[in-house]
Amino acid sequence: VKVGHALLELARAGGARSVFVVGTGKNVGKTVAMRSIAAAASERGLAVGMTSTGRDGEAVDVLDAVTKPRLLLRPGTVLATARNLLPMHPASEILDITDWRTAAGVVTLARVRRAGYYELAGPSTASGIRSCVKRLAALHCEQIIVDGALDRVAALAGGGDAVIVSVGATGYATMEDAVNDARSLCARLRIPVYDEQRPLLRIQGALTSTIASQLAKDGETRQIVVRDATQIPAGGKALLGLLETLDLRCERPIKVVAATVASIGGERYFEPRSFAREVATATGLPTFDVYAEAMAAA
Amino acid sequence: MNFAPLLDAVTARALQTSWLYAELDPVSEFGRRAYSKIVPFRPGHEQAAREYAHGIVELSRRLAQDDIDRMRDALRSSPDPVGAISRAAMGEVLDDTQLLEVLRFLDGARVVDAALIPENIRALASVLERGRAGKFGFYLSDDFDDALAAARADADRAQAEYDSIRGRLAQRVARALGRDEIADAEFIVMRDSVQTLPQGIRVVREAPTYFLCEMELDDAALEALRKRDEAAQALGVAEQAVRRTISEFVRGALDDFDHLLQHLSDLDVRLAQARFARQYECVVPDIVDARCLSFSQGAFLPLKAELEAQGSAYERISIELNDAAVLTGPNMGGKTAALHTCGFIAMLAAFGLPVPAKRATCALFDDIAWLGIGAQEEPGGLLSSFAREVIRLKELLARPACAMIVLVDEFARTTTPQEAKALLVAMVRGLRRRERLVFIATHLPGIAHDAKVRHFAVRGLRDVPKAPSSADLSAALAALADSMDYAVVEVGDESDGQADALALAHLLGLDEDIVVEAKEYLWNR
Repeated sequence: VKVGHALLELARAGGARSVFVVGTGKNVGKTVAMRSIAAAASERGLAVGMTSTGRDGEAVDVLDAVTKPRLLLRPGTVLATARNLLPMHPASEILDITDWRTAAGVVTLARVRRAGYYELAGPSTASGIRSCVKRLAALHCEQIIVDGALDRVAALAGGGDAVIVSVGATGYATMEDAVNDARSLCARLRIPVYDEQRPLLRIQGALTSTIASQLAKDGETRQIVVRDATQIPAGGKALLGLLETLDLRCERPIKVVAATVASIGGERYFEPRSFAREVATATGLPTFDVYAEAMAAA
Repeated sequence: MNFAPLLDAVTARALQTSWLYAELDPVSEFGRRAYSKIVPFRPGHEQAAREYAHGIVELSRRLAQDDIDRMRDALRSSPDPVGAISRAAMGEVLDDTQLLEVLRFLDGARVVDAALIPENIRALASVLERGRAGKFGFYLSDDFDDALAAARADADRAQAEYDSIRGRLAQRVARALGRDEIADAEFIVMRDSVQTLPQGIRVVREAPTYFLCEMELDDAALEALRKRDEAAQALGVAEQAVRRTISEFVRGALDDFDHLLQHLSDLDVRLAQARFARQYECVVPDIVDARCLSFSQGAFLPLKAELEAQGSAYERISIELNDAAVLTGPNMGGKTAALHTCGFIAMLAAFGLPVPAKRATCALFDDIAWLGIGAQEEPGGLLSSFAREVIRLKELLARPACAMIVLVDEFARTTTPQEAKALLVAMVRGLRRRERLVFIATHLPGIAHDAKVRHFAVRGLRDVPKAPSSADLSAALAALADSMDYAVVEVGDESDGQADALALAHLLGLDEDIVVEAKEYLWNR
């Protein structure tokens, strides 16, 4: 399976021109998934734009010193990254200097003129990342790829973007833990949009565990409507429990189209085929192993 | 604009300096830097202040509104080049984002006034022009230098050769593994899918069910890789050489850059002031070395803007002060607004700015002070409103200003009328002894007479407005505004007027029984 092409097709199937790759944690294969999509888009002749809500593409993780996969970008790719992370060599075409601030300087928009390794660090706020995606689109990027840190999920809500969830062996003691986390994350992101015809209870702000427990205790059967998935702080088993007892809905849905797995962690590995299969079964999503060039169907 | 030398936080709040600051805000970063350094003129510099104001009005007359807008648009999109210039001054090599900033700054300068740009900076601009990519971008293109073009061509060749050799290896490995392609640097090979690993791949890590592998380069590929890296390094050196040349160009023009930046910063400030003067029909005040403040048809612009935004009319006023004076008048008749107008015009004049009036004569004050309503919003712990006012007065009396105007709004209104009157009269005399120009708004009768100062009054209600049928507050206020004559006129010291408080209470819908009883009580006394 040409994983990059398959992911790209799924992302663009509903007309979305931007895809966010979010992960269950650090070092779970987001960068590898991103670059495979970018390569596929370039091969199809699409103008690619890339950015990140965190930091992506560095050779060594700045926090835990783990060696990271790097981002080799092809000529023509437009990137939005912090000014101080833009390499001097090879020279890039500087398109604009924005006023979005990051720890490594303001975000600069640049076009890759020669293939090279780049680091991405775009706007860190949900509104900033949305504006950045619009700017990239205005620069005629036909496929925009964003490393979307999970705590910036608000940027995804209602934007019409496609979302790919990456899950890896890093950070989990067992495959079951990793699969459960993927299931929970996907369930949260995929809370369906509410039905106007049916009774509903709109929650202003976050659906806290206290409110949720009370609603469950009261036997609430109406749709419980939150603005978007970010308004449900619960995760893991607590979230799955809520989903069984309450009819959770949202105003601004998120379109999750696929999952990727990285079976090789820093300290352990999972058997790749069964890992992909388990994630596909748990999430109901087509699941890809970029390293193995393989896919498991839901 | 630095208001601190002229007025304190209480007065700044009363005169709404934040409104003025925003109105006069320049559009560029460098303009804002210059703006933040503006301080008021000191007494003794009346002529300089007058000339400054004159320059603003001249500019507003000389330029059409479209010209002002066009220049401000250009300045707004001009990046601040200070970082780039400073780095060049220190002998550092500018990076491409800084070169873009310099290019765009010069674009902005050209739109504002091409004649401002000195010859050597024009030469720099023409060098940078070689890097213009599209309308707004910058790229270190081959046009800068033949050596750069040659290095880039070498690097392209070396990269193509390496890609070709590596591609062939990757195809061979993919075929051996039965795959379409080897897409990534690292890839998994399942143990059960191969009997032995094909040549040309290296195992990075082994797991019970798979190998994590990467491509192994043969001698030809390694040689191509070495050449590619050498060519890339040479290209990096060539790129940096071009940046160094341009950076040295910038360094050689530092003085001219400083002058240009200073000029554009000042122009940005002046354009904002000219726009203000034009928009609010301001005039150059006659700034004099005498303790006075007089104007005709003056306006307190923040209030004017607020009323007009609500669709209400604003009535300008005229006032002439050359010593202490008392202002009386009805409730909601504009006494406080009159004090605000005096402070606002005095403040603008102190900064050498045109003032919103038909004509104005004004001293250069070095201290504008507000006392009374509004001051009590300062934190005061256990102090009563009256105690806070007294402490504020004490503090104002101790100030060392040489030209101070004190605007007093219903001082001591929260104590007994007899004692308040005594305090007010004594305060007027005390401030006069200290040679302060003081203007006092009060409801207390006889202050002007007893303090032997001029007495002004708001004309007040032309007739008693009819209360609206519904309890609509905005309709009541509109009826009041229609009936009120806000003009301030000098009156004899026997005329203390009245507050029209009962008519106002009726208009604002106070319960009928209370209004009637109050009227009877007043009549019987």
